[in-house]
Amino acid sequence: MAEVLSSEVVVIGGGAIGAATAYYLCKEGAEVMIVEADDLASGASGACDGFVSLQTKQLGSHLDIARESVQMFPSIAEELRKMEVDIEYNPCGGLMLATTADHLKELKARAKKLKSAGLEVEVLTPVELKEHLVEVSKDIKGACYCSADAQVNPIKLTLGLAQKAQELGATILRGCKVENIVVTNNRVREVYTTAGSIHSRRVVCAAGTGSNQIGKMIIVDIPILPQRGQILVTETRERMLDMIVSGAEYLGTKANIAELMPKDEEAIKLGLGFTAEQTASGNILLGSTREFAGFDNSTTPDAINAIAKNAMGYLPWIRDLDVIRSFAGLRPYSPDGLPILGTVKGIKGFYMATGHAGDGICLAPITGKLMSELVLDGETSLDIEPFSLYRFK
Amino acid sequence: MRVKDKDRGGADPWRVAWEKAAGGAVAVVDCEEKIPCNPCEEACRSKAIVVGDDICAPPRYAPERCDGCGRCVALCPGMAVYLLDRSAGDGTARITVPYEMRGEMEAGEEAWAVDGEGKPLGKGKIVKVVNMGRKDKTGLVTLEVPEEWVLKVRGVKDRVMSLEEPHEVSEYHGEEDCHLCRCEEISKSHVREIAGKGFYALAALRRFSRVGLGYCQGRFCQAMLAGELSAVTSREPEDVGTFRVRPPVRPVRLSRLGGEDG
Repeated sequence: MAEVLSSEVVVIGGGAIGAATAYYLCKEGAEVMIVEADDLASGASGACDGFVSLQTKQLGSHLDIARESVQMFPSIAEELRKMEVDIEYNPCGGLMLATTADHLKELKARAKKLKSAGLEVEVLTPVELKEHLVEVSKDIKGACYCSADAQVNPIKLTLGLAQKAQELGATILRGCKVENIVVTNNRVREVYTTAGSIHSRRVVCAAGTGSNQIGKMIIVDIPILPQRGQILVTETRERMLDMIVSGAEYLGTKANIAELMPKDEEAIKLGLGFTAEQTASGNILLGSTREFAGFDNSTTPDAINAIAKNAMGYLPWIRDLDVIRSFAGLRPYSPDGLPILGTVKGIKGFYMATGHAGDGICLAPITGKLMSELVLDGETSLDIEPFSLYRFK
Repeated sequence: MRVKDKDRGGADPWRVAWEKAAGGAVAVVDCEEKIPCNPCEEACRSKAIVVGDDICAPPRYAPERCDGCGRCVALCPGMAVYLLDRSAGDGTARITVPYEMRGEMEAGEEAWAVDGEGKPLGKGKIVKVVNMGRKDKTGLVTLEVPEEWVLKVRGVKDRVMSLEEPHEVSEYHGEEDCHLCRCEEISKSHVREIAGKGFYALAALRRFSRVGLGYCQGRFCQAMLAGELSAVTSREPEDVGTFRVRPPVRPVRLSRLGGEDG
């Protein structure tokens, strides 16, 4: 007979969301088991950039929870540093650049809305932009600056949160795949895994792109599709970029804003949008694409060429750097780009924290905290109704 | 880009440099080599050193343009450039030379000034040590020496074996201390420590320790790392997996990927 394990809460998925959920649950004294099919941060959390960006969020509840989340990073960084994990949190601020007058107009209109929602953003002329970013392309018509934007090392964040949870008593099962979830009398009872059966009355699905598969086990359709994002990595250099930088069409493809879409067809097909950040190790990460290619996480020549060309159009000096690698991650994409948080009707003890798409790193702290509240108290400090699974029906 | 001949004014660059050094640091280029080499040109932001289209030509040098930044000193692989500063006016001069050992050079202490062949001239006072932030650890050491030495000093040493009591070598602790990942400078003992934390696949070891994430992308170190991980986790090397190879397989200039020749 296979080994029988038990835990108060089982968290499916060892990415940023799963690790954050386990971390906050453990802080409240819960007994937690993380079940991870591969290894920590082996999915989207280990194949993304470190943007913690507020100005790219959708207005409304998305921005509200993101703002709350961003404020949680400094204390997490502080706490994990005590365990000698440096999550490389850097409150560097973020710039969004516009290459056309139309894009700038749209960014200005958006900045106004962001401001009235209480987020401090500033529209910069090319001359003002020089104070933040010395060398940009002459084609840049202006930019939107958000001082609250930041960067973080997503892998270290995931590892740190998981390690802290472990220190507080959590068990991490690596290379352990969930095979089925047993529901009796409308309540989750047991999770079958490749490492044996785990008795648990509470299961959090933080499985990212695997969430749809997990949902099927309890006959619930969690509408998550894998969306591929490709990124280039340059050689390490001294500090050249002290800010996270994106292009207006990045927001266009991300939030599906017609006015900010890229012009040429190839770029639209790839979901091309410019992003750049320099990590603490000195590599510059250049992004990115948003494509639907099933579970294929290869990088493609078309996308690599398009990203390189696009990046030179924003930061001409980047042409002289060597590209040492490309990588791709599969983001858990939900139909409206917002995460899916909350419970399932008719089944007690099943919780979802998934569908964060490209915002999982930024939203990990608040998601973890809200999930911990939901699992342990049944209610949350912020309204998560807008993220309910049932908004799609 | 080019320094035109008229800009050079026809004066002997060495003489110009010597006179300019009375007012502060200036680079002295001591290179007659007709070899394919031009890092000095790349290094110089004020275009004082120019090699030109023929990469084998010796550098042409216009000291009047030099701002004494010292980048060329750190970058010249032949150690053929140094900074000269005669501004003290008290019979001492300052020479700034590259230094690439991880020795204990500290401002305020003494070090040996040596000539072009490494022969000790005598001890000078270290005035300044600048870390240029380079991966190869080359930094700049500024040494205060009697003015009459300035034509000879070309290097610095923290000790001269033949003249001093040899002292114990403490930096290297044997095999455990060697770098398994040379690009990211990660030692064998560190790899072991991380591997012991339960990462069972090579890909995960890379994500969390940065081994194999440097310029070579694991081309040189992968086999050794796989061996190490399998030893720590008591599994066969083929069971720990491999790094996923992603394009470009070798580093490629971004402009080329973007469709330009460069």
